[in-house]
Amino acid sequence: MSDVFDAVMLSLLIATAVSVARARDLLAAVVIFSLYSLTMTLVWQHRGAPDVAMTEAAVGAGVTTVLFLITIARTTRREKP
Amino acid sequence: MKPWSLLLVLLVALPLVVGVVNLPPHDAPDAPIHTGVGVRYLARGVEETGNKNLVTAVLLNYRGFDTFFEVVVIFTALAAVLALPRGSAADPGGAPAAAAKAANGSDIVPVSPVVSYVVRLMAPFMAMFALAMLFRGHVTPGGGFQAAAVFAAIFIALGLVLGPTRVAELVPDDWRPWLQGAAPLAFALIAAIGWRLTGAFLGFPTDDHTAQEAMGLFLEVGIALGGGVILARLFVEMET
Repeated sequence: MSDVFDAVMLSLLIATAVSVARARDLLAAVVIFSLYSLTMTLVWQHRGAPDVAMTEAAVGAGVTTVLFLITIARTTRREKP
Repeated sequence: MKPWSLLLVLLVALPLVVGVVNLPPHDAPDAPIHTGVGVRYLARGVEETGNKNLVTAVLLNYRGFDTFFEVVVIFTALAAVLALPRGSAADPGGAPAAAAKAANGSDIVPVSPVVSYVVRLMAPFMAMFALAMLFRGHVTPGGGFQAAAVFAAIFIALGLVLGPTRVAELVPDDWRPWLQGAAPLAFALIAAIGWRLTGAFLGFPTDDHTAQEAMGLFLEVGIALGGGVILARLFVEMET
């Protein structure tokens, strides 16, 4: 069971990481990156590190996402080709 | 993909893959993680530091120096952001921003009443959660950094709904420098007190559990206030 969970979570991490790098729409990249952080939160929790999980959820998925969104709002949403 | 970038990727990925493949299994009793200094932390941490949560014990007591300079790094990050010149959106360098806003049509999207209501409804409960993490951090998962992140999240959520200037007004002008520097200042003070009591910089008196707990709690409160205000200020600086 634990191995299945790990396999699913790690595949999701790789998939989200690759999608972030490939996304040309920066808004999409930020949203996917937030999903990456949430997945990472579950991995930390599953590994028995609730302290790190809480920080990852609050800072990784929460605060940095907002800061990235503000940056996009102040610059541009499209990556230069 | 350019050949150089492929080479760079391989150069970075190869050591990583080799390292990960050679990691010992999680339950190997002779893995370095089970034979090094961690053994002592696990065996004597609770008794030596008075912290039932060993993560807090390592962060504040055994590895106090690391934590001290971590909070200095966060403080420096805010100082760097505050040192940047303001109002760059108006000069020619900010032209892409103006163009993007023009392309998007309207400048400001009104906040949905549902989002606004839910954020304002949840804010006190989030604050309660942050306080619980702060003051129970020595027993349960949590602590100063986590509480700081949740405090900042409340500020930012309210800032998105009410506007950043109204949230910024919650902190009086006179307090701002002290709150933004709260974490390094608390560490410096505790380090000096520890020096006085034990003769070691950032030392904790192991024989006096009350003093030890009070010093730990003071540090946690400093980290939570300082870290929270710094993260919130970063948001306000970007939004206004």
